[in-house]
Parts: sequence; structure tokens; C-alpha cells
Amino acid sequence: MPTAIAGGAIAGGLIADVVIIDGLSFALPLLIIAIGGIYSERSGVTNLALEGLLGFGAFCGGLFVALFGTRFAIGSTAPMYLAFLCAMVGGAAYSLLHALLCVQFRANQVISGVVVNIVSVALTGFLTSQINASVFGAPSNKFVLSVSPRVTINSFSQIPVLGAVFTNFYPFEAISLIMVVILWYIMNRSRYGMRLRACGDNPHAADAAGAHVTRTRFAAVMFSGALSGFGGMCFAYSISNNFSPSIYMGAGYLAIAALIFGNWKIMPTFAACLIFGLARSGAYQLVKAMELSSSFSDLAMTIPYILTLLLLIFFSRSNRAPRALGEIYDKSKR
Amino acid sequence: MRSRTRKLSHPIMSLLGNKRWQFISIPLFAIVCSFIAASIIILIMGKNPLSAFYSLLQGGGFLPKPNYAAYKSVFTDFMDTMDALAVMILASLSVVAAFRAGLFNIGVSGQMLLSGFVATVLIGYSDLPSAIAKPLVIVIGIVVGALVGALIGYLKHKFNINEVVAAIMLNYLFQYTISYVINTRLADPVSRQSREISTAARLTLVGVQLGGIKMRVPLAIILAILCAIALLLFFTKTKQGYEMKAVGLNMVSSRYAGINTGKTTVVSMIMSGALAGLAGTSYYLGYYASIQPNVLSSTGFDSIAVALLGNSHPIGVIFSSLLITALSRGGTYMSSIVGIRQEISSLIVGIILLFSACGSYIRHIVDQYDYKSERGQS
Repeated sequence: MPTAIAGGAIAGGLIADVVIIDGLSFALPLLIIAIGGIYSERSGVTNLALEGLLGFGAFCGGLFVALFGTRFAIGSTAPMYLAFLCAMVGGAAYSLLHALLCVQFRANQVISGVVVNIVSVALTGFLTSQINASVFGAPSNKFVLSVSPRVTINSFSQIPVLGAVFTNFYPFEAISLIMVVILWYIMNRSRYGMRLRACGDNPHAADAAGAHVTRTRFAAVMFSGALSGFGGMCFAYSISNNFSPSIYMGAGYLAIAALIFGNWKIMPTFAACLIFGLARSGAYQLVKAMELSSSFSDLAMTIPYILTLLLLIFFSRSNRAPRALGEIYDKSKR
Repeated sequence: MRSRTRKLSHPIMSLLGNKRWQFISIPLFAIVCSFIAASIIILIMGKNPLSAFYSLLQGGGFLPKPNYAAYKSVFTDFMDTMDALAVMILASLSVVAAFRAGLFNIGVSGQMLLSGFVATVLIGYSDLPSAIAKPLVIVIGIVVGALVGALIGYLKHKFNINEVVAAIMLNYLFQYTISYVINTRLADPVSRQSREISTAARLTLVGVQLGGIKMRVPLAIILAILCAIALLLFFTKTKQGYEMKAVGLNMVSSRYAGINTGKTTVVSMIMSGALAGLAGTSYYLGYYASIQPNVLSSTGFDSIAVALLGNSHPIGVIFSSLLITALSRGGTYMSSIVGIRQEISSLIVGIILLFSACGSYIRHIVDQYDYKSERGQS
């Protein structure tokens, strides 16, 4: 009898651990993408393009591994880190398209975002098959990546419940956390961050105070491109272990929902992503623990979205978008 | 040097400078630019762009192919394209209806899926005669879509929930719930999609024989064009339509002018949802006869860009939908004939949308050019 109870306790403990481990590995990349969106939107540029940016970033990372991955020693993690770097550079470069359309070419920002997504899906799909066919001679629409290693910090992992945070995490999760701190600092404490926020609330005043609105917005959109690329690469390495069109699973739209939920602020968005990630992995484990058929996991997957909608009813009252969000900056209109 | 470039660009500028025709000349200019860009891409791949575009039109059913299977002709392909066109027009009209009031309906796909699903379950598997089933399908599509739209509008009005977030959440909610129901109860063991609906309920008549050829007759295309005209009349002739435009242009000043902005928000989302619902029934109970679980149609997202390409104007949307649908339908045939990848046609669509998103910039440049040349003359 006592052994049965102990067994149950261990199983219960394990489930809680798995919920936290899986939840974090989904929530942190989502948060990084959402912070990218926050940078862009706080500077006054609506960014529905996150989905396309993360896909293009992941494509660049995947391409790097496909082209140069074999030159490294087997088991080396260097290509993975370089792939992340490539994803950030690629995402930033691709986001120039959105920046150019919105800031320079006075396009409607919502439309620009949607178009950037459409082009990204078409372009990466086309390039992936084309490159696979012409460089590797294989008809495939994906780049296979290695599996990211997982890390456990032994001394911390023994802490009850919270120990799971330090168990079996991907290296990119640790990098994400460090990035969050730095990005929070840049946004809220640095001169650039203050100007960025001013450009999103009152670009004319920011201009008069000596900020360069166009340049600030360009940089902000590129930030969002780089961060989305990073987040996309995380998903490519954790969920699918390859780059394929399935990377466009809607994480970018989810990130937009999270950042609006978080009222365009980094820390509340962190909370939103955590709730979302934990609800998601919790729902999965629930289906598993109740030994239901796999089709129930579809039903369980609705839980995070229902939860988010309910929470929004209580928390959106004071939500306020940056004042100049979506407006084209015209110097002559003072 | 500067004056030389000006001389070169003068014919184009004067063509685009005419304010009365700008609504058509600027989108056309964008389309021409994008075809030039697409030609360059095809040239780089070592193929002939002209034959590529020609086969694109052949695939869409606008030009005859060299040979056809039995009972098929260019008209068969053309009617297939019309079927897809109806869905695209309705979905784009849905985006336009929301856009007019300054709202952004990103949930067209979800609303399409839900209304298509409800109509499938309630009518698609019944044995009602065609004369009752078809109108019922249409009504259910409108009502279900309108209810979802009303929910999004109400959440926005009452709880200040951003319509984009609510629509995204509902998209996923519908997608997962419906895929659960299909997988557990409605799945066809072979296709893994929902079981096919009865022909009586389908809004597209399939396999109609006319003059020795078989074709499909999409009833939804008539519906789509009627909706476009109705929406135009609503925008231009009614008080509510005018109020919607005012709210879209400036929320605060319309509130001061005594317009009930909350009501306008909800009404515009209801209209948008109803149109998306219609698009859904004509997609899942017309163009297709079954629903694929766990997939949101890309039409709902493409329609956002198509609506802009049509200047967010109900009639303009018909033409932009025609262009985009024709391009995407012809892609398969083009890739088989010319030997380039099928993805290139979606890339061309993307490039067209990209250039047309720059429409206001082209207008801006033209205006500046006019202004400068006027000053130069005086």
C-alpha cells in the first residue's frame, strides 16, 4: 500500500516536471518573438509579419546547417549556435522588406505584414525545394537539423517543483532568458528605448526632441526580425528537428496575441507566454495521464486559447495600444 | 542627368498623374511591375517567361490547352476557376466590410471553417431535397458567420479586447475543436477527411453535361457578385454605411458627431462574419465537399491582401480576386508544362501583392512629381 502511494507521488511529480519542462520550451521562444513584436509596435509599426519573419529566419538557419553542417565534427554543437546566428541575421534582413514597405513606402502596415507573411511562405517553400533539388539532388521540402542537446543543472534540479526549471532544458532557453533581461533593459532604461517608445506614442514630439523617427523605426523592425528569427530557430530545433513548411504553424500570430495581452509591455507579456505555454503542455499531459486516445489532444489543445480569451475579458479593460501605432509618419503633418 | 531621368519617366508619370483614373492606373502599374519582376525570376531559372505566363492562363481556363481529356474543354477549367473565385470574392468582401469601419478581421479562415462545419453537420448528411437543402446551407453559413462576427465585435466593444487577438484565439479554438469532432465521428476511413456531403446540399453542381462537355456550375459565384453589389449599395446609399465609413476614418470625431460607435463596430463585424460564413459554405460545401481536419484554409489570409489590391472597394475586389485566383489555379499546369516549380506561382502572387502594397507610395511619388513640375513651369 505505501509503495503504491509513493509510486503515485513520483508519477505526479514527474508529470508536473514534464509540464514545466515542455511549457518553458514553448513559452520562451514565443516570448522572444513577442518581444520582437513589442519593439516594432512600441516604435509605431504594426507587425503582423512575425509569422513570416520567424519562418524566414528558421529557413536561413536550416539552410546554413544543410550547406555547412557536414564540415563540423560529428556531435559538435557549433553549427547549432551558428544556425541561430544565421537565423537572426536572416530574419533581420528579411524584416527590412517590412520596414521598407511600412516606413519608407507608406504602405498600410497591416497589409504589409500579411503580404510579408505570404511572400515568406512562398519564397521559403520555393527555395527549400529548389535548393534541395539542385544542390543535394534530393526531392525534399525540408532541411534536416540535428537534435538540440538538453542540459540539466544538477545542484538546482533537486529543488522540489521548481527544480524542473533547471532540468532537461535546451541551451537556447537559457540564452532566451538572458536576452529577455537585456531587451527589457534596452527598452526601459536606455536612450534608444526611450526614443523608440516616444516614436510610437508621439513621433512629432520625438522628432522635435532630436530623435530620428525613420531610423528608429527601421532599427526596431529589424530587432523584431532578428528576434523572430531566433524564436523560429528554437521551434525548428525543439519541436520539429527540421526546417519544413510546417514551421508556419501560427506561432507568430500567437505571439501577437501574447503581446497585446501583455499590453505591449515585456514583463506582462512574459506572464502571458508562461500561462500559455504551461496551459498547453498541461493539457497535453492531462490527455496522456487520463490515457485518452490521441484525438483528444486536439480537444485539449483548445484549453490555452479558451483560457486566454477568458483572461482577456478581465485584463483588457486598461489595454491601450501605443498612440501612433499603425500611423505613417509624415513630417509635414504637425 | 536629373532632367534626363525626368524626361524618361514623363510618359509614365503623366499616365499615372490623372487623378480620375488613379484608382485603376496605379494598381495596373503595380501589376505590370510585378510581372516584370516575375519574368526576371523565371529568366534567371533559364525558362521563357512568356510561355510560362501563357501556360498559366491555359491552366486557369482562360486560354485553350493543346489537348483535353474526354468530356473536357477550356470551359471546364474556366468553371473550376469560377468556383474558386466565388470563395475568394466572398472572403475578400468580408475583409472589406470590417476594414470600412477600421476593423481588421484576421479570423476569416476560422469563421469559414465553423460555418462550413455547422452546415455540413446539419444539412450535408441529411436527405433533404436540393430545393430546401441549398437555401438552408446558405442561411446557416450567414447566421453562423454573423454570430462569430458579433461575438468578436461585442468583445471589442464591451471588454476592449482587440479584435485581432479575439479572432486569432477563435481561429485556433474552431480549428482544434472541429478537427476533434471530424477525427472521432465524421472521418472517412480512406481520405481521413470528413465524409463527403450529399450532392443535394452542395452549392456547386458537379459533372453537369452541356454541349458534350462536363463541367461544374458554381452557384456561389452569382451569390458573390450579388453580395458585392449589395455591399456597394450599403456603403454608398445607407446611413449605417456612411456611419461605418466615418468610424473607420476617425473614431473619436464620429463619437462627437453622435454616431453610436459601439453599435457600428458590432454591426460591421456581423456583416464581415456573415460574408466569411458564406465564403465558408461555398468553400467546404461547394468547391470541396468535405473538410480536412486541423487545417485553416489559406484563402482567409490571402483575402486580406486581395481586398487591398482591390482598393478595399466591393467591385474592385471582384477583379483583384479574379487575378489572384487565376494565377494560383494555373500554377499546377504551368509547372508541368514549363518545368518550373509550382511554388513559383504563389511567389508571383506574393510579388504582385508586394507591389500593390506600395500603391500609396507610387501615388505619393506621382503627386510630388506633379508638384515639382508645376513649380518648374511657373
